[in-house]
Amino acid sequence: MISLKNIFKWYNTGANRTFILKDININVQEGEFISIMGPSGSGKSTLLNVIGMLDQPNEGSYDFMGENVFALKEKQRSEIFKKYVGFVFQAYHLIDELTVYENIETPLLYQNIKGSERKAMVADMLDRFQIVGKKDLFPSQLSGGQQQLVGIARALIVKPKLILADEPTGNLNSKQGEEIMQIFKQLNSEGVTIIQVTHSEKNAEFGSRIINLLDGRVEVKGA
Amino acid sequence: MLKNYIKIAWRNLMKNKFISFINLFGLTVGLTCCLLITIYILNELNFDRYNKNADNIYRIERTFLNPDDHSVSLQLGAVAPPFAPLLENDFKEVKKITRVFPAGNLTFKYGDAIFNQDNVFFAEENVFDVFDINVIKGSRDKALDEPNSVMLTEETARKYFGDADPVNKIILLNNQFNCKVTGVYKSLPSNSHWHPDVMISFNALKDSAIYGANRLRTDFGNNSFYTYLLLPDNYDPQKLESQLPAFQNRHVPPGVRFKASDFSVLTLRKLTDIHLHSATDSEIEIGGDIKRVYIFSAIALFILLIGCINYMNLSSARSALRAKEIGIRKTAGAGKGELVAQFLCESVFISWLAAILALLLTFLFLPWLNQISGQQLSMDSLWNGKIVAAIFLIPFLVGILSGIYPAIYLSSFQPVKVLKGIIPKGGGNISFRKVLVVFQFSISIILIIATIIVFQQLNFIQNKSLGFNKENVILIRNNKNLDATFDSFKEELLAKSNIKKVGRSSRVPSVRLLDSQASRIDRGDSLTPSKADIKYVVADENFIPSYGIKVIAGRNFSKDFGMDTSSFVINEMAVKALGLSSNSEAIGKPFQYGGRNGTVVGVFNDFNFESLHQRIIPLVLYESLKPNDYSFISIKISGNPSAALAQLEKTWKKFLPEVPYQFQFLDERFAELYMAENKQSGLFTLFAFIALFIACLGLFGLSAFTITQRVKEIGVRKVLGASTGSIVALISKDFLLLVIISAVVAFPVAWYAMENWLQDFAYRINLQPWVFLAAGFIAMLIAFATISLQAIKAARANPVKSLRAE
Repeated sequence: MISLKNIFKWYNTGANRTFILKDININVQEGEFISIMGPSGSGKSTLLNVIGMLDQPNEGSYDFMGENVFALKEKQRSEIFKKYVGFVFQAYHLIDELTVYENIETPLLYQNIKGSERKAMVADMLDRFQIVGKKDLFPSQLSGGQQQLVGIARALIVKPKLILADEPTGNLNSKQGEEIMQIFKQLNSEGVTIIQVTHSEKNAEFGSRIINLLDGRVEVKGA
Repeated sequence: MLKNYIKIAWRNLMKNKFISFINLFGLTVGLTCCLLITIYILNELNFDRYNKNADNIYRIERTFLNPDDHSVSLQLGAVAPPFAPLLENDFKEVKKITRVFPAGNLTFKYGDAIFNQDNVFFAEENVFDVFDINVIKGSRDKALDEPNSVMLTEETARKYFGDADPVNKIILLNNQFNCKVTGVYKSLPSNSHWHPDVMISFNALKDSAIYGANRLRTDFGNNSFYTYLLLPDNYDPQKLESQLPAFQNRHVPPGVRFKASDFSVLTLRKLTDIHLHSATDSEIEIGGDIKRVYIFSAIALFILLIGCINYMNLSSARSALRAKEIGIRKTAGAGKGELVAQFLCESVFISWLAAILALLLTFLFLPWLNQISGQQLSMDSLWNGKIVAAIFLIPFLVGILSGIYPAIYLSSFQPVKVLKGIIPKGGGNISFRKVLVVFQFSISIILIIATIIVFQQLNFIQNKSLGFNKENVILIRNNKNLDATFDSFKEELLAKSNIKKVGRSSRVPSVRLLDSQASRIDRGDSLTPSKADIKYVVADENFIPSYGIKVIAGRNFSKDFGMDTSSFVINEMAVKALGLSSNSEAIGKPFQYGGRNGTVVGVFNDFNFESLHQRIIPLVLYESLKPNDYSFISIKISGNPSAALAQLEKTWKKFLPEVPYQFQFLDERFAELYMAENKQSGLFTLFAFIALFIACLGLFGLSAFTITQRVKEIGVRKVLGASTGSIVALISKDFLLLVIISAVVAFPVAWYAMENWLQDFAYRINLQPWVFLAAGFIAMLIAFATISLQAIKAARANPVKSLRAE
């Protein structure tokens, strides 16, 4: 599903070139649940952004579902992205001015889905995460765990094949974190590919494979 | 989608009430000014349009030239009476032609009641074929046929007869002629260039006691007959105009050396151009001015722009607050176009809201605007297809104009960065925002300068020494019934201690000087025609003393010289125009004026007979034996005016029991001359303050925002020992610099514009640098007050709090 080859990303600081990603080669099959680990500054989030097409490397090639991503035009790229990828953030990133219902609905607005259909899809999500009673609340009225549920519901509403999660439990206590990871596991078993960035060994264990990053390189550990 | 946009726009509006207020207020006031001014402009542009033939009606006008150099000596909106029948006869394309002749102020008597009546016109019976006049009673075609028939407006009829049917009532005109009311019509709309309250049959003029049939046919000298032509659809008036020189030469008797077309030009003016484009020396009513229409359109547009700029500046400055939302929407799949659309939706939504409020405010403020501008504007003019479309469309355009820059700027945020919290501080191109602030303040400063200069100039003309004393002079209209008894009338008045002088004249200061005749002056051994264009006023020996005009050489008219009718008194300009080297040389010179032979006996000082829009021109005074030649009596009083007025009324009633007593103070008449400018200055002040206020609101919002961004810096500086003053200075410095730059931009523009405006006055102030500096200073002071409101609060805040928050 995903194939990254010789991905380099760097910043020029004066005469020096600081590498964030250095010769990354990763293949991800559909249905995998991958955890990316590594210390701060090792390039985890950058790698996730490159996979999510939010960021571009300086060198390398990227195949997503058989398409050469970097050869595509901006517009086509965002079409693919809209269709297949859902994002979950550490800081939830809900729109403060929108209610739970409207936040979940937002991605559908950009896919030209009819109002009645949208309603059904959002209701489905609310049901699934058992937050029907909170649909008219604003994000500031929810706990962190509840906000992250909304964030996941929003990522799932477009029925993505791939979920990219950047430390999804980083702002949560361990019990809430555990719940979120259970949900991910459940999703994975339903066939959704998941790539998460995490600090926590425990959370990483939920995944089927762990990729360790250090100073922009994939560290090969034992396996 | 749209619902979602509007929802979020509304929530943002409610969340930041203060900023929303500034945005909404600026746009609302801008749009209100626009609407009010649009109503005014529509009214100006639609003058006389109520006539269904408006596009085919033309007024024929006559301009007199100095035949030698072809310069214009007199431009009249009216022509001589013989032209109308001749035109109708010579040009078959003239479908209808009608004449109206203003009769000025008359009295009508019905029963015991006597009425002074203004706006009386002699009108031909076909006036109804040219103009749309709604006749309610009587026959449109016949009502003005009989020489003694009159028609009245509803209001006039009610004034005379109350609720009784006016038709066939007999009223006595000037105590002389019995007239029969044959019809009633609705008064013409306020945006008509003439407003006849009474129309008398034109055929009455055929009576030689009134005017004379022969003069109507042959006298080309009295150009007081407003003549209107109805031409066919799509007719090119130039086709007719080009034949008019030959037409004149066929009919108008030539002068001594020149044929008619050398000194007189006939032109056609479209009816709908009369109000705004015609400023001839004889207009029925004071018209508008296309320049004023332009000035006010520009002001409306600028105020709207200032409001739009507030929106642009505040939205882009506060973009950081929207950054997260933009990032999320982009990761949720929003494209740049969709985000631009969202932000434009927001700005259009706000300007729609502003438009609705503006309509409401317009409705509330229109009566008040009518009051200060003396107009009769109504919102009705807005309810026409095109305008309604514009009212719908303009908020849309305003929204796009205000929203496009923030929209494009905001939608270009990169989600990776903004979600990581790397938010571009300050938001957007800061120098672009500075340019916009400079623009706002430049406009405000220009308007302040304009206001001060307009006030200065008005003050100048109202206090300028006119060369005579306009205080304590009462004017009354001479009356035929006083002809025989004038001397005893005068004696009785002068017997009163507070009545000093009683003089008569054909015209009085404050009106235009339009009448002139040919003159000859003695050069060596014979009278030679002079090329000087000298206007005349018929005046008796008491005219000059009544006004305190100084005789600087020779003498005034005097009873000591019998009936002093072969004497002329001229002004200094006339001395020069006649080519005489000194005032004393003029004394005793044989002089001929308009066929009257005599000598120059005196020279009086140049004084401003006309308004200060006009230069002083050569003038000659002479006495007449015909009491009819005097239209005004000027009475110089001293002491308590009300006592003098009471005595005047008593004497008037004794001599003229049949004529209503009416008077006017001369200085009031002078004040009326500058009414248009006075109204303009009032509106200028209003608009200047509105512009400055909206600009300052924007500055207030912008500085409040800057301060929240610099809270940490302020905290650190305070901990390091900075005083409140130095922090206020730190924050204010940047903004005040912008105001100074604005002043530098504003000065040359304002100088140019005001220099232009002052060109309209023959007597004007010079532009003084202090006015410009003062305006700049006022703007700076207000800007500083605005900023320091926020800055002082920020500077006084406890630094521990702001640092902990970080």
